[in-house]
Parts: sequence; C-alpha cells; structure tokens
Amino acid sequence: MRPLGNRSILVLLLIAVAFVPCNSSQTRSRPAPSQTSAGPFSIIVSAAPVYDPLAAIQRGAERFPQGVRLLLLRDNKAESLLPGFFASADASVSFDAKTVIFAGKKTANDPWQIWELSLTGHSQRKVISGSTNLIRPLYLPDNRLVYARQTPGGFQMEAASLDGSQQLPLSHIRTSAIPVDVLQDGRILFESMFPLGEDGRPELYLVYSDGSGVESYRCDHGPGRWGGHQLTSGPQTGDVVFTHGRTLARFTSPLAAESPIAAPAREYAGPIAETSTGKWIVSVRTNNESRFSLALKKAGAAALQPLFSDTRNNLVEPVLLTPRPVPKRHPTALHEWTTANLLALDVRQSRDGSLGGMPVSVRIDAQGQAGIAVAMGIAPIESDGSFFVKTPADRPIRFTLLDRNGSVLRAERGWFWIRSGEQRICVGCHTGPERAPENRVPQVLLRSTTPVDLSGAAPAAAAGGR
Amino acid sequence: MRRATAVAAAAAAFALALLLANLRPVMAWSGADTAGGSATAKTRAVKDAQYASPLEMALSPDGTRLYVICGQAGELRVLETASGRTLRTIGVGREPRGLALSPSGDRVFVANSWDDTISVIDTSRLAVIATWPETGEPSGAAFARNVQGSDALYVANRISNDVAVLDAKTGAERMRLAAGRGASYTTLAPDNSRLFVTHVYPNPGRHRTAPESEVTVIDAAKGRVVERLPLHSVAGVFHTAISRDGRLGAVVHLHPKNLVPMAHVEHGWVFGDSVTVFGADVGGAVEVPLDEIDRYFAMPFGVAIAPDKSRIYISNAGSDCVTVIDVSRLMRFIHSHPAPFAQDLSASANYVVARIPVGRNPRGILLSRDGRRLLVANRLDDTISAIDTRTNRVVSTFVLAGPKMLTGLRRGEQTFYSARFAFQGQFGCSNCHIDSTFDGLTWDLEPDGLGVDIVDNRLLEDLSGTEPFKWNGGNPGIPIECGIRTEKYIWRSENYDYRSLADLAAYVIGIPARPNRWRLPGGALSEAQERGQAIFNRDVDRFGKPIPIENRCSFCHSGPKGTSQRSFDVGTGKPTDRSGLFDTPQLLNIGLTAPYLHDGSAKSLEEIWTIFNPHDRHGRTNDLTKDQLNDLVEYLKTR
Repeated sequence: MRPLGNRSILVLLLIAVAFVPCNSSQTRSRPAPSQTSAGPFSIIVSAAPVYDPLAAIQRGAERFPQGVRLLLLRDNKAESLLPGFFASADASVSFDAKTVIFAGKKTANDPWQIWELSLTGHSQRKVISGSTNLIRPLYLPDNRLVYARQTPGGFQMEAASLDGSQQLPLSHIRTSAIPVDVLQDGRILFESMFPLGEDGRPELYLVYSDGSGVESYRCDHGPGRWGGHQLTSGPQTGDVVFTHGRTLARFTSPLAAESPIAAPAREYAGPIAETSTGKWIVSVRTNNESRFSLALKKAGAAALQPLFSDTRNNLVEPVLLTPRPVPKRHPTALHEWTTANLLALDVRQSRDGSLGGMPVSVRIDAQGQAGIAVAMGIAPIESDGSFFVKTPADRPIRFTLLDRNGSVLRAERGWFWIRSGEQRICVGCHTGPERAPENRVPQVLLRSTTPVDLSGAAPAAAAGGR
Repeated sequence: MRRATAVAAAAAAFALALLLANLRPVMAWSGADTAGGSATAKTRAVKDAQYASPLEMALSPDGTRLYVICGQAGELRVLETASGRTLRTIGVGREPRGLALSPSGDRVFVANSWDDTISVIDTSRLAVIATWPETGEPSGAAFARNVQGSDALYVANRISNDVAVLDAKTGAERMRLAAGRGASYTTLAPDNSRLFVTHVYPNPGRHRTAPESEVTVIDAAKGRVVERLPLHSVAGVFHTAISRDGRLGAVVHLHPKNLVPMAHVEHGWVFGDSVTVFGADVGGAVEVPLDEIDRYFAMPFGVAIAPDKSRIYISNAGSDCVTVIDVSRLMRFIHSHPAPFAQDLSASANYVVARIPVGRNPRGILLSRDGRRLLVANRLDDTISAIDTRTNRVVSTFVLAGPKMLTGLRRGEQTFYSARFAFQGQFGCSNCHIDSTFDGLTWDLEPDGLGVDIVDNRLLEDLSGTEPFKWNGGNPGIPIECGIRTEKYIWRSENYDYRSLADLAAYVIGIPARPNRWRLPGGALSEAQERGQAIFNRDVDRFGKPIPIENRCSFCHSGPKGTSQRSFDVGTGKPTDRSGLFDTPQLLNIGLTAPYLHDGSAKSLEEIWTIFNPHDRHGRTNDLTKDQLNDLVEYLKTR
C-alpha cells in the first residue's frame, strides 16, 4: 500500500460492488475501477441498501431493514468480512487490532447476536447470545465489552466479560440507550433521547462501565446529536465529533457547548473513523435520495474527498483496522446495596435560571413497569439548597422541587438512574458538567449523615449507605 | 485458566510490591542528618543516585548566565544561558528551595531548607563565600535595596511561618514578619516597592470550614506588612508574579474541595487549579480557573508575566505543561462577566491560549528580559525547557548532568508527583502531600458514607514502622494504601501497574523525616522539654495517684516513632464516626502538622487535652497545670 499523499488521495469508487443478497455465502470482490491508490488503511464498513441511523435509538427498530453486511475495504478491493453470515454490522476493532466484535445473524431467523472474529485465523465465536437482538458491541478495557440488548423498553446497555459471563445491565430507562464509543477516560458514550427516558431528540450521554454516573455529555441541549466518536490523536485529541444529520460538530474540553465543524452541507450518517494521520473518514450523502458513501476529510479543510462508494449500498459506520489506544479501566466502587444515595449540594443552582421561589422539599418519582410515575416520598431541602436521600436503584427516577405550599417550582425533564450501591452527588439541578462544586459542607450533612429513605425498599433490603 | 494465571501473577506482583515497600531503601536525599533527626533518617542519609532536580532559576543581569537550584543534588549550577552548558557546579546546603540575586548580580543567595542556612555565592569567583544560619526552614529569598537604610535579604521560612529580614552584607537578622502558614515563596515587585510572600499550608481556621490563605504584602523599604491579600477557599499557594508596571499581579494556587464528600472526581470534584490576578488593572483580586471540563492542569507552581503584559505563563507541575494566558482576553472576560469564576470549568476557554508540553514536574519558570524565551525547570526530568514565546513551542532542552538511569525510587517519585493517574488527570499524590508532606486539610472520603469519618491528612515522613495506615488502621502497608484503595476511592480511574506501585511504595516509605527544629543544637532537650518528657513517661499523676498503664502517654505512643501501631478509643470519636477506635498516630515532627486528632478538630496540640479530653480517656492530663501541659506539648514537638 502506498502512503496517502496530499495530492493523491485515492478515490476508490466501488460503484460496481453490488450488494450481495443476505443469504449469499460469497461476496464478489473486485478491484476498484480507479487504479489510483486506496490509501494506507483498511476499513471495515457496514454496507446496507437502506440505512436508518436513528431507527434503533428513536423507535427500537431495525436500522438495516433490507439487510447489511460488513465489508473489508483494502488494497483497492472490497470483500465480505463474514461470508458465512446472513447479516453482520456494528464492527468494533480490538485495541490491538487482532479481533473484531460485531453484531451478526448466522441465519435469517436469528436475532442479532454478539460475535467475535479473529483476524488471524478468521475463526468466529459467539460472545453474547439471547432471544432478542443484541447490537452495537464495543470493546472495553480489561477484556470486557458493552453492547445494547433489545427489551420492551427499547435497547438497553449491558457490559460483560469477553467470554460472555458477568453480564451487567448498565442503563435503566424506558427508552433506548445504545453505546457509540468508549472514551479514553473509560466512560461509555451512548446515544439516547433528550430528555433522557422520554421521547424527544437524540442526544449523547456518558456512563461509567459499571452503569454509574450517567449524565449528558454537555447540557447545551440543541438539535439532535448522534454518532459520537472521540478523537485519539492530533491536536484535537479528546474532542468528541458527532453529527446533527446535516452538519458535523464537536464537543471540546474547554467549552460547555458544542462547536461547529466546517464541512459541506450534506447528510452525515454517524460516527467518523480517524486515521493515524488525523484525517477523518466520514459516511456522507448528498441528499436522502442518494446513498451514504465514504469520504475523507483533512484536518481544518472544509471540503470532502470521495473515498469509497457503492451504488446499491450505503457504506456506514466505518472503522479502521488499526491498533488504537486502550482507554483507562474504570475501577467500580459501587457498594453492595440494593439502593442508592443521592446528595444535592444546592438545588438552586441551575442552567435553567432562578427557581422563582425557595424550595423546601424534594419529591422523588420512580417510573413503574407501565411507565407510570410513582411518588416515592418527599425529603426536606435545607436552607443552603442541599438534600440527602436514599433512592430506588436501577430504575428510572426523577426529582421535583416543591415550595412550602407543595407547589412545583421545577420538575426534572425526563428520567435518570442511579446504580445499586452508587453514591451520587450533584452540584445543583441541571448545572451542567462545567460547574464544579463549591468547597463547603452541605448543611444537610451537618444535620444528619443518614439519608432520608425514599427508596421504597423494606428496611432490611435497603441496608447500607448511611 | 487464564483468569487463574492472571490472579496468580497479580498475587506474585503484589507480594513483590509488599516486599519492596518494606525494604529499607537507600534514599536519594542528600547530605548528613542533623542531631535532631531520627535514627531512621540517619540511615537514609546515604547517598544513592543524585539527580539534579532543578527547581528554581535566576538570570544574571546581562542574561548570559542562568543560576539553577538543584534540590536533590544540593547544588547551585551555573549555566551559560545560550547553550545550556554548565559553567560551574557549586555545592550548597540540603534541599535548597529558593534563591535570590543581588541587583548588581555579584551575589546569589540560596535558601537551604533542610540545613536552615543561607549560602552566599560570589558570582565572580563562583564560590560560596559565606553560610549564614537561619531558622524555620528557609524556602524563599528576595533581595531588596535600601530597607531602612541598607540592603536586605528577605527569607520566607516554611516552618516558622514568617519572613526574616537579614542584613544583606552580614546575614544578621534585623526583624521577623509574620506570614502565612508554610511561608515559602517570595516575589519582589520590579520597582522594589513591595514584597509578596505566599504559603503552602492554609492558615488555621474553624473546623470543617473552607481553607483560607493569603498573600502577605510587605513594604520592602520599610520592612513592614502592609496588606494580607485574602485568598478564600484556597490552600497550597505557590509563586507570584508582578508585571513590570506593577499594575498586575498573578498568584497560582490550588482550590481543594476537601469539604465535599469525595464520591467522584469528574467536574472538578476534588481539586481545582487556579490563578488569582490582582492589582490596579484588575480592580481587586479575582480567582480564575486554569482547568477545563474534561482536562485538568494540576499543581500550578511557577508564574511569569511577559514584559509587555500580554501573556501570563504558568507551569503545571502535575500535568507536565505550561499554560499560556492572554492577558487582554482575561481582562475582557473578568470585566464583562459576573464573578465568581472559580467553579466554572468552561471559563478558561476565554483566556487560555496554549498548553505547552514540557518535561516532568515543571517547577520554576523564568522569562528572558525581552520576553522571547521562557525557561522551565523540569524537576523530575533533570532538564530545562526553552520555549519560544512567539510560537509557544519548546525550541531547545538543556539536560543537566546526573545519573542517566532511573532508579526505582526516582520512578516512584515521578509517579508521586504526576496527576496522570487520577480521573482526567485532576490531581496526584503531591496535591494532598505537598512536597511529600501534608496539606493541613481534613477530607471526607466516600467509602465510609457521606459526611462520615472525616479524616485529617497525615504527614508522610519516615513511615516505616508506623503501619497500619488510615485512621481506622485498615491498611496494613503502603502498597494497599496506595494501590487498590487509592484506585477505587481516590483516583477513580485505572491505577499504575504493579511495578510502578512497587516503585511508588518504596518512594513513599522512604521519605525521610526532616530535621526536628524544636530540639536544641546537638539534639538535647530544653528544661521545659525535659519536664514534658517526664510527664509523658510518668506513672503517677500530680496527686501521687497511679495512672493505669493504658492511660499513660507512653503506652499508646510507645516505640521510637511514638506509636504502638495499635488502635485505641481515647474518647475523641464524633457522632459522625463509625467507630471510636483510631490508629495511634506517630509523633514524628508532630509540631508541624496541625490540625490534630483523626478529624482535625483540634487546632493545636493544646486543644487535644484542653477541649477534647474531658474525661482523661486520652491520657491522664486533667491533673496538669497549664505550665505542665505546656511542657508536655514542648516535649511532644521534639519527637
């Protein structure tokens, strides 16, 4: 393979690489019509006649309703990565680039399952199976993975060991939560809806690999965002690039709000891939009548250079077949409780402005199986705005601030969860990740270090967590 | 099978770590011990690899020479500024920490913090021509002209919390001025009018209230404190810089969150790193953060203001970089946004224009007279980075002579001073253990419960033989204290590997005790201290009544380091403590480490017995007269 020169960006037009019917055992492989170089990278891409990037996250539906297949693009050729599979998608390359985990269907009647492919021996093994669809697997450090399992409440994230054991539910809401990247700090970036747990628009969230610490990546909730990918090289290392559909944008560490990325007004499918030289491979189409193809975007350049396209298929979710940095492992510190504790330092602090009155109590609602809100009880708020409660764990909850008459001063939009044994502290109510805590002892802890029990659990079951 | 192998390997590595941690390392600290030091410290005086460890710098008036304090080597190195070539290596005292240059450049004064001396160097001969005695751990120095008629050397003393004013010709002390606790760094305004002194430990305050610090402002000509610029919620204050026109000052410091339960790290939960700007340009004092939402710039240490006042440069000792602030943008931000800013992690986007990677543990920084070169002393790399301030890039790196190989101790020290292990690089060991000591703060760690088991931070000196660790005695050794526990509850992120942990443990367990300053020269005790020693060891009270053995000071505080290494209930537990049993703390250098008791509720040693021992459970002391209690305290300080 020749290096990718500035002027010799290769446009490998796979116009004739037809989408192969899903039950075919062999994908045709042919050189690109253009014989210029394909560049120094090997790409795995999902090829599908129809691609609906938001189907799973918005409706819990199929993103590839007419089938999909993972292709390996290298040396000016496209080949089916998994010819023995009826369908395959959602490739994630291991940190050492020796294996790939993916969502696969061996036969047409199978649900999506999580598989791993060895790139050396081309052996495949089933990692996670179940009676419902399992999609979007991503490698975690420490020989674990995260993926999404389809449930009556949409797709929910789970983590497990790479041998399939120790399956751990991570998300606990009634709308879909689907992982999209693993950040270098060890947290999982996932897509869900805003407000969380309710219908709305796609948004990007974070959670630790034990399911704790769920929060919005940023709180400047604007147009729908999805397809996040963290950059791991170059001067923008750490930035998270995502799409609004018609535009690309980024989150960057210094800013509390997203910043735009100069790029042509097209439709962007989802996550980008990042080459070792800092160029981006994006999946893009001119309009919704055309198909997504791959293009190269150089750092700082607004223009896109065509890279791969297929007249019959959308080429989406590209990943590079190269080693990449291993994120930091998250050492879980959850206690062995069935409930959780939540301390708020000052509920009066919020990006949403003044409360318009003095909050004196907080009500916790939990969401029942049918989606009905159940009031778990009320706890007092101290004059400094602090409260400390024991909450239900591993189910959707929300908070409502009340004044002395019991009237609602502010209600949380949407729902969130706290993991069993988690002790969570909030600076305020929707203060955003840019707000660090004041250094003071919250009054509620001077009154008592025992939280008001609003968990609804029997005393014995709620043991632990003063 | 793979898991079993991994577990076995981990266990073996852990055993190795334990073994290494319990070995007595040969320390890299230099020089011989003083009479007041412990026996253990004496054995550690053996020199191993001596790394240069550049800490602070000064330029000769013509800019051709660079004077560099090399802390671990105990040297002043004289470099040719243009090439970095070493012209002379001059031995000074132990742990030199500060230096000052006379205006003519004919003298360099070096504050030797562990020797309590000032080395006076003749720059024409490049030799030490005098060594002046000083007291209280001299740490910073500044030369001021015409102080009440003659030139003076101001010396900030870390232990005595003051500034000594010495005659610049003879070293004779003319006066002492009270400064903040842990007074360490001095900056003279360019017009010689004001001296700014900072301190590394917070001033004494009420229990469980935010730490308070200050910049002590001294009229340099009159030798008089004229202002104590308050730094609220701040602890760990390092260098100050003053612009040439005197209208802008900048002082860098930590903003700890020790009062908030440490349940997680993200969102600046444990430490903030910030700079307070002050002066006529600012119209007061304003603290602004250096951190970002997802990245932290730990342990700001050195600071310099460009001659044209366009930039402020700050070394981030825990993050191995230099932060560059655009002053005009900073002023616009301050004047157009409502304060406070200290908790806004998105604020720095308004004024930080560059982060320049440099070597490990960058400390002192220095601008050339024309402002085009910024020199950075990388303490744990033994290098000096030269940055072109027009491009904000390192253009050359001077390597100081020293061992080429890294010993385990040196690697451990590098780990100790790095912030890269905490979640998003927010803080390192040295945030709470400033210069490998303590921070004077109490913390609320999460695993016990929120608001529960508040713990005072303890001194890291000569720890071997003081196990177990933690106030509840829960950790049998340093590898556990610094390993799994720290990963889970402190860093909240992936820790070091086993080799790094072994190195770190060896470094921590080998940190020697500094010389005890309360003993008389030669190590003898004063009469009061001897009386206090008798009280410490007594078996009958003032009325002749026998004191049960378990109620004598010497029972719990036995052994060479003043700890029986056992836990006792001495009646100091609080309603927020899960247990009244506490590990017996060692007494080594206890005079330094206020506040006291497990939760830091006693502001002084006296308060341990006058307030927190009403029923004589913490030793029989209520029979003592005030004078006798004073004697006991005086003795304890000599341990």
